[in-house]
Amino acid sequence: MAILKLHGGKQATCTRRVATVLHELQVPFELIEVDVANGAHKSPEYLKIQPFGQIPYIDDDGFLLYETRAICRYIAAKYPKYGLIPTEPKANALFEQAASVELTNFDPSASKAGLQLWIRKMGYPFPTDDKIIADNLETLEKKLDAYEAILSKQRYLAGETITLADIFHLPYGVFVTYAGSESDSVMNRASRPNVARWYKELISRPSWLAYLDGVTTTTAY
Amino acid sequence: MVLKLYGMPVSTCTRRVATVLVEYKVPFEFVSIDVAKGEHKSAAYLQNQPFGQVPYIDDDGFILFESRAICRYIVDKYPAPAGTTPLVPSDIKGKALFEQAASIEYSDFEPYAYPTVREKVFKPMRNLPTDKAVYDSSIETLDAKLAGYEAILGKQKYLAGNEIILADLFHLPYATLLAKAGSDLMTTKGPNVTRWYNELCERPSWNAVKDGAKSFSSY
Repeated sequence: MAILKLHGGKQATCTRRVATVLHELQVPFELIEVDVANGAHKSPEYLKIQPFGQIPYIDDDGFLLYETRAICRYIAAKYPKYGLIPTEPKANALFEQAASVELTNFDPSASKAGLQLWIRKMGYPFPTDDKIIADNLETLEKKLDAYEAILSKQRYLAGETITLADIFHLPYGVFVTYAGSESDSVMNRASRPNVARWYKELISRPSWLAYLDGVTTTTAY
Repeated sequence: MVLKLYGMPVSTCTRRVATVLVEYKVPFEFVSIDVAKGEHKSAAYLQNQPFGQVPYIDDDGFILFESRAICRYIVDKYPAPAGTTPLVPSDIKGKALFEQAASIEYSDFEPYAYPTVREKVFKPMRNLPTDKAVYDSSIETLDAKLAGYEAILGKQKYLAGNEIILADLFHLPYATLLAKAGSDLMTTKGPNVTRWYNELCERPSWNAVKDGAKSFSSY
């Protein structure tokens, strides 16, 4: 059986999300870099695989899949022993609630602010906008007050054990902190001690630390 | 105890859930939340839904919010009605393609359809000014994204294959408001999107709730 191929970008945000989960699940994979700088992701050949012209996608022994959260869910379902998606019906429903919270209440503002802050930190030659960053961080602050309420009652977003829903907050959960400091950022405020606790746990995970300098082919764990 | 759906009758997310409850012929009681009076931001409400949003369900004491999570829970709990295929596949690859479609809805449709509808439908309803720049850029991006849909739907009937799935139905509440927002993209972008959209609009479950969610004690 061929090694799983992750077609994406070494530093690309969504590629990192997938790599983090592959690492959590100890799945060997080969990173195949897509030449985004030269528009490879918009070529007719690429669009046949990913019709929205985005990275990443995976090739799992001939099975092609795109959308990072779908990829992560697929791999988690293949390796259920890690429990990243609970199977008991009510636990599963609470996982889906948490996964939807990430999509609807975190990602819209975190990805807009986070992407721009990441561009600035990496020094990429793309325009950024102070107002977009500020407005989205403000929205995110309010959303995280609700996170504080949830996380004051339980360790993780879906209950007492970590699930994909928590991990989906990477990498943007880290990038939004670039607007602050290690001791005080939107994810790490004295006023939200439970969010801070949960955030620090997430960024201490080996799967996140493994690709701090970018995603690389990983054949052994 | 019968399932209770707490929401606002014409809310997009409330009708998304009601559609799936009707699809699966699940009896439910609809409880109207007085959003105009801010009931969804009250301390009591926030105990059940910490983000102060509608809807949520109470299934015999089990509280769940986020419309897409509620829909998934219904499909997981109840059998598909006789003669229909489940709205979420159970085999690993079928499920993966479902998740891909569900992610497309949330990443490539909603972020552009929602602001379009918000600017030209929701804001006027609340006497708030429309931000034309936001509207124009949302429509422009939605138009580009629907090219991806046109390609997918040229090869298969629905977003994950030839059977309808939850992810197709998830589009209905905002897709059907685009015309009110001054956009006919759903029926002009391309023949495949048009075919798919028109079929979705004909679903009896959607038609039962499109003008407002309500209780269903029997089917």
